[in-house]
Amino acid sequence: MVELESRLAICFATAFPELDPQEIPLVAMGSLASWDSLAGITLLSLIEEEFSLSISPDDVADLVSFELILDYLKKNYLPKLSPEEAQ
Amino acid sequence: MTMKLAEALKVVQSAPTDAPPLQIALLCGFTPLHLETFLRAQLCKLFPGRFLDVQTGLYGDLIGNLQRVPGVAAAVVVIEWADLDPRLGLRRLGGWEPSQLQDILVEVKRSCDLLQNGMASAARNIPLVVCFPTLPLVPISFTALARASEFTLELRSCIASLSAALFHIPGVRIVDFQRLDALSSSRRLDVNADLSSGFPYTLAHASALAEVLAQLVLDPQPKKGLITDLDDTLWRGILGEVGVQGISWDLDNHSQIHALYQQLLRSLAASGTLIAVASKNDRSLVEEAFAARDTILRTTDVFPFEVHWGAKSESVARILTAWNISAGDVVCVDDSPMDLAEIKAAHPEVECLAFPCENPQAAYELLERLRDLFGKGKISQEDGLRAASLRANADLHRDVAQVSPDTVREFVHQIDGHLTLTSQKQPLDSRSLELVNKTNQFNLNGRRFQEAEWRNWLNAPDTVLVVASYRDKYGPLGKIAVIAGDLLNGGSTGKRKLCIRAWVMSCRAFSRLIEYECIRWLFAKLDVEELEFDFLPTARNTPMQNFLQQVRNAPAEPHCRLSHDQFMQNYPASSHSIEESPNG
Repeated sequence: MVELESRLAICFATAFPELDPQEIPLVAMGSLASWDSLAGITLLSLIEEEFSLSISPDDVADLVSFELILDYLKKNYLPKLSPEEAQ
Repeated sequence: MTMKLAEALKVVQSAPTDAPPLQIALLCGFTPLHLETFLRAQLCKLFPGRFLDVQTGLYGDLIGNLQRVPGVAAAVVVIEWADLDPRLGLRRLGGWEPSQLQDILVEVKRSCDLLQNGMASAARNIPLVVCFPTLPLVPISFTALARASEFTLELRSCIASLSAALFHIPGVRIVDFQRLDALSSSRRLDVNADLSSGFPYTLAHASALAEVLAQLVLDPQPKKGLITDLDDTLWRGILGEVGVQGISWDLDNHSQIHALYQQLLRSLAASGTLIAVASKNDRSLVEEAFAARDTILRTTDVFPFEVHWGAKSESVARILTAWNISAGDVVCVDDSPMDLAEIKAAHPEVECLAFPCENPQAAYELLERLRDLFGKGKISQEDGLRAASLRANADLHRDVAQVSPDTVREFVHQIDGHLTLTSQKQPLDSRSLELVNKTNQFNLNGRRFQEAEWRNWLNAPDTVLVVASYRDKYGPLGKIAVIAGDLLNGGSTGKRKLCIRAWVMSCRAFSRLIEYECIRWLFAKLDVEELEFDFLPTARNTPMQNFLQQVRNAPAEPHCRLSHDQFMQNYPASSHSIEESPNG
């Protein structure tokens, strides 16, 4: 779980290099000016690349904060891992 | 291994923002999105000292983007099917009925004509890198996917015709799909991304495509010379052990890969690459092998042969002297890792490649690598002359060495030199730019030009370009010198002066007093009172420094000047015939 969070944080840090590491877990689209639609696409592409998954267009509109994206990964990424990988 | 998006973003983010900008246009009809990121990252790696400014155009208007292409160093044009007719994309609905296919073909042909005109017009000012559709066609035809239809064949024929027409336009570089296919073998179309954002590529495909596009933007200078070993490299077998009849390069002896290697070397030689042999062998036995066996690589393709039992690094040193090129322009191919290591230790800049004689697959990949290292956009007249003129130069220097220093100038009078000069500005003459960017020794300042920068400068009304070609009794040398500068008003007597900003001369033309004749011609032709040299010392331009010192009676220094009177006092007249040609 910790690894999932830190990997997601790396995606955020790559998409938004201006963020301090401690700000990342709290960040949301509404609170970050540089998180526009283009940056949002880049962020989700980084997450798809990092976790080798495809995010459904229906889910994209809801993925607007670190916390929500982390929840999404817990529901959609972790269950697909083998028990060894999940640990 | 293509670059990941995360890596690309890090490369882009870590690039210096205060470096000199390099402006590149990325022209496409789709949302450039990650292709722009990958292209920027690849260019950052290839141009480490520059700040990459990638400019993009409007969505869905490739032809308009071409018409609005800004003043940039190069433009990358990426065409997809939807640019030829929106019905060939996913985001517009116009119908896929069989009755519409003919109309789509008509529209595609019209778009191809517009694209051809647009690209031909843009290529007059800037180099263009062009990529034709890389995505699979939408399932538009009525045939099953495995079966070609008349419609899809016609579509591809339109693309083939357009690429053939564009190929002949100077400054256009077209992506070869074989290279792209090797890098981008997985799924290319990202339906989700195309529908949601208008970006049609998977990340892997965008990354691979950007890598190929960036290579074409860079347009790297090819290596100039290849030094090859003989035993278990040019042929199979150790000549000293198996004898002349024991070596082989054929299918029967399972040594066909050596025949293919010879065939490639012969092709390189015919394309202007210098080929030399460095082999630890008995010289007479090697001569016998080339004479008695029908080698594909002929002895006339090779200069020089360094065949003895001494160190390979010493052979390489002598070959570099004979060729008069730098070690960084040379590739050594040898089956012996020890010999390659010994060469590399003495000449670190030489690219050393092992010939894997026991592994034809790996050896074939070496052939591909060599083609990549020596690849060039076109073969010039000078490419055909290079090896012969080097041989002739060796003869000339041998003859010069036999006369006393006092009589060298007299000797030059006897070589029947013919110098042809032209001041006709031809910005698209690739040989001029090639000389300016490749020549190291007789080079005013080592400055290199981007193609667009060179063209723009030459298009200025007060810019002067002089190109010199030369031949004498030792043979033709082709275009060997380029002088470019700006005519300025305001000499002390009111006459104009020429500020020379670029002057290079091929080292093959040394020892013939050609540089003096070029200066004399400039004074006479342009009626200038004074020349100013935008000189800068470089690690290799000692011949230029010596020339300026001799002709000015003073050390070469930045912005040094030479008056007509001063020059005539130090001018060693040759007896070359001087001709002026309207077009070089």
